Order: sequence, then C-alpha cells, then structure tokens
Amino acid sequence: MAKVQVNNVVVLDNPSPFYNPFQFEITFECIEDLSEDLEWKIIYVGSAESEEYDQVLDSVLVGPVPAGRHMFVFQADAPNPGLIPDADAVGVTVVLITCTYRGQEFIRVGYYVNNEYTEIELRENPPVKPDFSKLQRNILASNPRVTRFHINWEDNTEKLEDTESSNPNLQSLLSTDALPSASKGWSTSENSLNVMLESHMDCM
Amino acid sequence: MKLLKPTWVNHNGKPIFSVDIHPDGTKFATGGQGQDSGKVVIWNMSPVLQEDDEKDENIPKMLCQMDNHLACVNCVRWSNSGMYLASGGDDKLIMVWKRATYIGPSTVFGSSGKLANVEQWRCVSILRSHSGDVMDVAWSPHDAWLASCSVDNTVVIWNAVKFPEILATLRGHSGLVKGLTWDPVGKYIASQADDRSLKVWRTLDWQLETSITKPFDECGGTTHVLRLSWSPDGHYLVSAHAMNNSGPTAQIIEREGWKTNMDFVGHRKAVTVVKFNPKIFKKKQKNGSSAKPSCPYCCCAVGSKDRSLSVWLTCLKRPLVVIHELFDKSIMDISWTLNGLGILVCSMDGSVAFLDFSQDELGDPLSEEEKSHIHQSTYGKSLAIMTEAQLSTAVIENPEMLKYQRRQQQQQLDQKSAVARETGSAASVAGVVNGESLEDIRKNLLKKQVETRTADGRRRITPLCIAQLDTGDFSTAFFNSIPLSGSLAGSMLSSHSSPQLLPLDASTPNSFGTSKPSTEPAAVAGTRPAGNSVNKDSVNATSAPAASSPSVLTTPSKIEPMKAFDSRFTERSKATPGAPVLTSVTPTAVERLKEQNLVKELRPRDLLESSSDSDEKVPVAKSSSLSKRKLELEVETVEKKKKGRPRKDSRLMPMSLSVQSPAALTAEKDTVCLSVPAPTLKLPMPGPQKAFTLQVSSDPSMYIEVENEVTAVGGVKLSRLKCNREGKEWETVLTSRILTAAGSCDVVCVACEKRMLSVFSTCGRRLLPPILLSSPISTLHCTGSYVMALTAAATLSVWDVHRQVVVVKEESLHSILAGSDMTVSQILLTQHGIPVMNLSDGKAYCFNPSLSTWNLVSDKQDSLAQCADFRSSLPPQDAMLCSGPLAIVQGRASTSGRQAARLFSVPHVVQQETTLAYLENQVAAALTLQSSHEYRHWLLLYARYLVNEGSTEEGAAEGTAASHRAEPPLPASLHRMSGTARHPKG
Repeated sequence: MAKVQVNNVVVLDNPSPFYNPFQFEITFECIEDLSEDLEWKIIYVGSAESEEYDQVLDSVLVGPVPAGRHMFVFQADAPNPGLIPDADAVGVTVVLITCTYRGQEFIRVGYYVNNEYTEIELRENPPVKPDFSKLQRNILASNPRVTRFHINWEDNTEKLEDTESSNPNLQSLLSTDALPSASKGWSTSENSLNVMLESHMDCM
Repeated sequence: MKLLKPTWVNHNGKPIFSVDIHPDGTKFATGGQGQDSGKVVIWNMSPVLQEDDEKDENIPKMLCQMDNHLACVNCVRWSNSGMYLASGGDDKLIMVWKRATYIGPSTVFGSSGKLANVEQWRCVSILRSHSGDVMDVAWSPHDAWLASCSVDNTVVIWNAVKFPEILATLRGHSGLVKGLTWDPVGKYIASQADDRSLKVWRTLDWQLETSITKPFDECGGTTHVLRLSWSPDGHYLVSAHAMNNSGPTAQIIEREGWKTNMDFVGHRKAVTVVKFNPKIFKKKQKNGSSAKPSCPYCCCAVGSKDRSLSVWLTCLKRPLVVIHELFDKSIMDISWTLNGLGILVCSMDGSVAFLDFSQDELGDPLSEEEKSHIHQSTYGKSLAIMTEAQLSTAVIENPEMLKYQRRQQQQQLDQKSAVARETGSAASVAGVVNGESLEDIRKNLLKKQVETRTADGRRRITPLCIAQLDTGDFSTAFFNSIPLSGSLAGSMLSSHSSPQLLPLDASTPNSFGTSKPSTEPAAVAGTRPAGNSVNKDSVNATSAPAASSPSVLTTPSKIEPMKAFDSRFTERSKATPGAPVLTSVTPTAVERLKEQNLVKELRPRDLLESSSDSDEKVPVAKSSSLSKRKLELEVETVEKKKKGRPRKDSRLMPMSLSVQSPAALTAEKDTVCLSVPAPTLKLPMPGPQKAFTLQVSSDPSMYIEVENEVTAVGGVKLSRLKCNREGKEWETVLTSRILTAAGSCDVVCVACEKRMLSVFSTCGRRLLPPILLSSPISTLHCTGSYVMALTAAATLSVWDVHRQVVVVKEESLHSILAGSDMTVSQILLTQHGIPVMNLSDGKAYCFNPSLSTWNLVSDKQDSLAQCADFRSSLPPQDAMLCSGPLAIVQGRASTSGRQAARLFSVPHVVQQETTLAYLENQVAAALTLQSSHEYRHWLLLYARYLVNEGSTEEGAAEGTAASHRAEPPLPASLHRMSGTARHPKG
C-alpha cells in the first residue's frame, strides 16, 4: 500500500519572470516511518514534441521521513533556455514533479505552464529568436494532473510478482481495470504528454 | 418490502466485492476495485434510507474514500463498536481504519475538488502475515479478536487490542480459504475453503473442533467468496456453496453434534454469501389473538452466483422472498442493518441494492435482553457442570461488559477531549506548530527548512513535520514493541481495550440481575473492568504454571481480554476475603484502580439499581471504598484458581496469586519479565510447582525437567532434577522443592525452598555445595559460567562459578528503583556476566562490577536519541542490524522518537551536536557492557558520521572529531575488542 500520500502542492511565486526559480511547497503524509529518503525531481518539458528536450531542473532527497504530515519547499532553478527549441519557447508546456522511493516512481504531478510575453508589442510580433528575459511563466496551479503508481514500499524486495499466481479471477479484473480515468488524470508515461496537451488544451 | 438500487453507490463501474453497514446505521462501507488500486468507500446511509436526503444536495453521499490498498479489496468489516473498519485485499494486507477527528473535510489532491472526503479515515494498523490475497475478515463478538483468511490456506487470528500481534494461525485447510464467521457466543470460529471443507475451530485453544466435508464433496472451486454465517442464537451455521444431489445449496449445520441434515435449496448456481439477520424474531402478535408465544426464529439472506437473492425465516419451509435478476453479475456480499429490517447487497457488477422490510414481514425483533436471555438459557445452563473456562460465559457477562464499555467510552471521550485540548494546536491543520501559526511557518519555510548535502553532493531537505498522525491513540498503542509485562501490560489494556468493545444498546442495560442466580454483587462488576486489566496477567500467569508444557509457560503475553473475562467469570461463589492476598497488589495497580474508580463513581447508582434483585452482598458494593473493591477483585482471582482448576490448585501457593505475574518462571534464554512493587522492594517469588520443563537452548538442544515431591524412600519426599543435553541425560535428586531453574551451556542451577541454590555442571557434577541466599529467590539466570540470582529482597548477586569468584555481591536495586512506581521489566545477563535491568520507565541500567556502580545505558525518553539523526552514516546493508545486549535493552523503538524532536525545527548544528553526543553515549554504553560487536558497530558509525558531517559542515564537527582523534585509547580498544571477545578488562 502507498505509504506516502501527497496532500497538496502549492505553487509559489506564480506567475513570475521566466528566469525566476520554480518553487513548490509540497505537503505529504506518511503512514509509517520510511527507512530511506524520498527523492523528488522537477522536470521541465522543453518541447511537447519530444522527451529529448526534457530537463531535470533539480532533484532533492527528502528525509528522514517519520510517520506524520510533513511539508517542504522544493526550489529549483529555471530551465536552461539553450536547451529549449526556439519554436517552443512561447506557449504551453508542462512541468512535472515526480517522487521516487527506492528508485521507484510512485507519484507524478503535472502542471501546464504558459510562457508568454508581457508586453503587448512583443506578444503581437514575437521575435524569431525568443527573448527569455521578457517572458513570463504562468503555471496553471489550479489544475494539477496527478498520476499515482504502485510500487513496492517494503524493505524486503520480495515477490510483488507472485500475486499473479493465486487468483486468476481477480487478476483479469486487475489488468483491465488498470486504466487511468478522468479523475486520476494522465495515463502513465511521458509519451502521452502529447495526447494530454491536445486533449486538455481547453483547460487553459 | 421495498427495493432500491441507489445508482450513486458505485466504484465507477468497477466490481464491488464487499459491503458492510456501520453498527450505528448512519453509514456503510464498500470495498472493491478502484482505478488502479483497491478501493474502500464510506457512504452516507441516510440518502439510501430517505428519498429527501437523496435529493438534498447538501447531504453528502460519499463520506470518504481510501485508495491505499494496492490491489482489489475483498472484504470490509466494521468492528462491533463501530470505531474501526478492517479491510482486506489482494495485496495480502489487512488495514485497520479509524476516523481522524481533528481534520475536517478535505479533497484528494489532484481530484479536481469534486471528490471531497467529508470524513477522514486513517489507517492505524497494517496487518501483514498472509502470503496471498486476503479474502475475508471478521471481528469477534466484543472485538477482542480479528480473524482474516486468505488464499494462502490459512486463517490468522489477530489480537484486536494489540495490533499487530498474532494470536494464532489456523492451518488445516488445503485450499483457498474464502469465508469466516464467528460463533455469536464466541466459542468457535468457522471457515470455509475451496478444499471442499468447512472447518470449525475452538477459540479456547485455537484447535480444530470439526471438519465438515460431506456436503461439499461435489463442489468445485468456482466462487470468488464463500461467506458463511452463524445464526444469532448460535444454533445454526450456514455454509456458502454446498451441493445436494448435484444442486447448489446452502448447508445448514447444527451446533449440536455438527449435524448436516438440512439445507436451503433453490438457487440455480453456487451460493456465494449467506448472512444472518443480527436479530432474533418472534411472530407478530395479532390484535386480540392470545395465541401461545411461538418459538423465536432467525432470518437469513442468501446470495448466489445466479444473481438472485433469497431471504429465509427459519420457521418457514419456503423462502420469504426470492428476487431474481437483481444484478447483472454474481452477488458478492450482504449486510443487515442493526435493526434487522434492511439489507444492502452488492454485486460483482459494481452496483448495490437496498431492501427494506417491515416488521409485519419479518416479525417482532427480540430485544437485546431477550436475545441474551436465549443465549443464557441455551449456553449458560451448562455452566454449572463446566470446570474449564469456557468462552460461552462471555455471554452471561454481556450486559456487564456493555456497562464497562460505556464507562470506558466515557473515559475515552474525556481523555480524548483532554488530548485534543493539549495537542489540538499541533494536530489541527490550521493550527499552530510550536507557537507559530501554520501561515507563519509557510512564509518562512524555504528559509528555515534544513537543507544539507549528502556525501555525494546531493541536496537533502529535512521536511518540517507539521502534524503527527491524528488518530488519538496512534503512537504507543500500535507501534510499541517494548516487551510488556505485569502491570504494564495491564495498563496498556485498560487504556486501549476500551474502544474495542460493543456500544451499549440503551435498551439492555441490565439483564444481569434477573438472568442468573448469582452470588456476586453486580456492583463489583463495576470494579471488574479495572480488575480485568490488572488481574489479566495474574490470571493467565498463574494458570500457566499448572501446565507442564514449556510452550504454555512461555506465552504470558498471549492474553486476550475475552479469555480473561471468561476465566474470571466462570467461577463465582462465596468469596471469602483473604487479607494476605491484598498485600500483593502493586501500588501501580492501586493507582489505576483509583483512576478507574473516578469514572466509576459516576454511575454507582445505576449499578446498584440494576443489581437490586441480586443478593445481600450488595451493601459491600455501596461502599465505594477502594480497598473493599480491590479485595473483591483479589478474592475473585483466588476463587477462580480454586474452582477453575481444582485438580491443580494444590500445587499453587497463595503467593502465586499476586498481581505480580510470576512470569519469572517463563525464563526464556536471557530475558525475564517481572514487575516489582516499588516502596517495599519486595520482588515476586515463584511458587513451587509439581513439575516444569525449561528449554535452555535449542541448538544444541538442552532442556531441564523438574519434578517436585517424587515420593521416594520411606515417605521422604525428594525432588528430581533431570537434564537432557543432545540426548545425553543425567538426573539428580534434591531434598527440598525446586522453585525455579536456569541453565546455560556451561552450568545448570536450581533454586530450592529454604533459600538454597545449587549449581551443577552441564554433565551433572555438583560444582558447589548449596549456596545459602540471603532471602528467597525471585529470579535465577545463567549465561555461560555466570549465575545471577535476584532475591525477593531486591538484591542482586552474580557469580562466576567456574573461576569461583563473585562478580556482583548482593547489590541492592534500591538505587535504581528508588522513588516512584517503577518496575523491572526485563533482566539480562551478558555473556561477560554484566547484569542489565530494564525498568518500566524506559531506562536501562547495567551494573559495572569494576566500579561498583549502576550505569545508565539506555533511556527511551532520552532527548538525545530522539534528536540524533545518523541514518546517512549507516552502512547500507546492516542498517540497525547490529545485535547484542545493547540492542536488546534499547529495542527498536529508538527511531520512533525522532519525529517528536523534529516538531521543533532544530538548527542543523544543534542536531549535529546531539547526534554526536548520542553516538558517544552508545559507544560508551557498548564498552561498559563489554559487547565487542556493538562497540565496533557504534564506533564505526561514529567515525563515519564525523567524516560525513565533517565534509559538509567544516567547523562544528571538526572540534569534536579532533578531540577524539587525540584520544589514544579508542582505536586501541577497538582493535582489542574486535580481536578477542572474551575479557577486555584491564
């Protein structure tokens, strides 16, 4: 069972200039003492077209984590503009917060990010070479997309597999039901970002 | 009958495997498949019951949903008290949920605000034992136990008062176990499995009572569940899927002789679930008709794979109603409302149906009083001829237990509100942490949070703990692994057993007085709850010595409240107060009695009234004098001993009836539990037993057998000591009775009456003439060639019998037990002959023979231990795996305290200092205990911590590190310790 539940993520300093660091205040709850640290990452999707342009802005270890409710602020530097394709500098993209335990990702929180010029002139006639210093980053904080994954939380790296054995009945149910739904947000991998972006553009 | 399918009760189309209505009828739980996990949902009942509420937007339908189960949830069950919800699923886990009261409605993060949780239910225990999917769970009557069954072919009985303790694992099924039901009288539990058998187990010894196979011979393992049910009057057990002449049936099994002559026939496919109505009914009396009162009958609902539901009354030959095509798929679970007039049915197709009956259809439900009267007339009568403690007696005591429970609940409430007042600030979300409001903290969180770099240069943030988990009794109750004994365990029980018991039905406060010709004043029952917790150990422990098997001897902790109630309540008769017994009540017990009495005083009148028709002993109860009640309690214990086990009572001395458990007799290898009354410092003494066996070690196998008073030459009674070591046996005789024995691989020693202590080699040679002790023995202990004797006068001696030297000479425990109500909870003798005493206040002292001092080696309340954080320095593999005397006395609880300190956002430097101080303490303690292995472990850890921290925070750690480097003895002693494990003295 999931030992860690994310209760809330508050986007701080938003909207802000492009070069400002990202700040997320994360509240989570843990039902049992964790023997290892949690690892949190902020990933900036440079281009919706390809994972190639994903940038890991930073990763931190968070620990020790005893049972209880905890909070911390995760601050990470702004993305390196050099790694962002010019065509994708302005417009909608995504920032992801992921958390892993023992190398296994168990939650992924995604936010839409809209980068646009604040000056009307620039907005109407954007320069060919984007001027990042004039860009404003606006994270759609009200609409996080949360995907949760099942991982093995136990210390003993035993048999998650052997669940397959016992009950064929249930197993079939499990596999068909493991699809994502609206309330849980995205399907599970980065590859679907594209789909997601298109299908959810209306939320912007 | 009205039928309703509330479409809003669904798991988004996923199957619902289980449904259960809360005992108070205001909500119900469903369990099944969630999006990509198991799902438990708690629903509001009123929109099901009333159309207006269903339409009212302001009345929430869903109260809470929990996605914590990794895989499909097969069963959800409320405890009888309604305090807890247990859920079991394909992830092999059972989770026990409790409502968190401090937090208001909240949303699940990322669920777009729609699915607000109106109530917060938190997982307070995760029960891990099954190696396969958990199929069914069931709370015993009175919530003393929780049973779970699994596709791993076993049934596990959990101690519901002390999760996650396992009381028994019932093995015997050879197929997937898919259903469980408790006997309403509490004497049996029945399980049905795919191995074509239904097994009934006794709760007294958790052994198989009977296995019924005949009706299941033709059955295939085709149903998902086999939820069987026991009738509320206890007479009938009805199975799920059985076959009769190739037709599917629900087999009726009679309690009397486990006969299988009747069944419910008619379903076209296998029966998946049977559920008895909790009420017993009698015929509705027609106006004017003076018909003789008809026999009471039961009502039972049967659900099947054929998607239909039938409802039967045991007085009718045909079903009362059959509803076909209720669902699209198999019925999975059924739950009756507590008033017996409604049922919820759930199906694999993901929908739920509610059926509402009228009293005209079912009959008049008997009141709880009448019901318990039926129980008594059926099972209570046999009491007179019962000598063994029988669980059925719990029924007799039902109203009393209910009263007890009401008081306990009141107490609990009081405590809770007190706790809420105290900790409310820290616990509530909008509250205040450490004098700062959450808002203030949030503003400065980025600046204030502790961020370090790990050895490999990565950022590491220490999160700010803003709240403990808010389930009230969370911390100690469920995660305490400290060995408990005597009065300690008693207090645990008294403070935590309360929520486990039944809620009081207002209509049934006192059938007690009328129910049974009792000579016991009902008001004494008022003290009994306290007595129960206090005497729990003595009851069990004193009965233990009577049995000769070592396995019984070594299980004093496996006590269930039910058994305790039971064994104490079985025998009731003219109690003759005995003064000597009284003296053995520990001061702590008295304290507790006082506390209990405070609450009790609230209701004495009630009690008196309710007992008006019991006998002349009532006046005793009127006096609220503590001593009298206590006296009664004690006497009751005595009675039990005499009556309950008449064959054995000659072997028991009054001494062993004291509140202090003579658990010392249970000497396992090197841990002994006993409790000590503080002011007089008189330790409990073991009473003589007829015979006992003591396992010294299993590899090499060595055990000692003692047989007292073997009649021998000319009427002189001798005692025999027999020792078996890997098949080689020797024996000898002694002239006085042997009270206690101990052994190691080098010596065997026995303490006899007349303060004599005899020591033998393991080959049977007497090493010394008998040693005369200064006062009678309390605890005897051997490790290697060291013999430790703790006398009743609380003096401690340790001798090295091989080298014939005294290590500790009659050292008094006064200095460490001085003052308050402390007791010794654990005694340890290291292999270097160093005695270690673990006290009830969490401190542990060892006696340093060279300095003749008691040294503090461990303190559970030590703030250093709580602040210290050296996890980053632990070697990856053997994290905390170091074993030895220090690890034993400190236990594993050392990590649990960490969070408390972190409520204060400790500056990093301070944390470093405390960590260093803590590590130094550990190194010193290991050295004093002469535990080379642990010394090495802590020293390495210390060194590693210095290196790690030194690289990041230059200044602070450097000074300490340098000072240690300048100290020559440390590395040298490390070398010495790891080289030779023998005597690093000098």
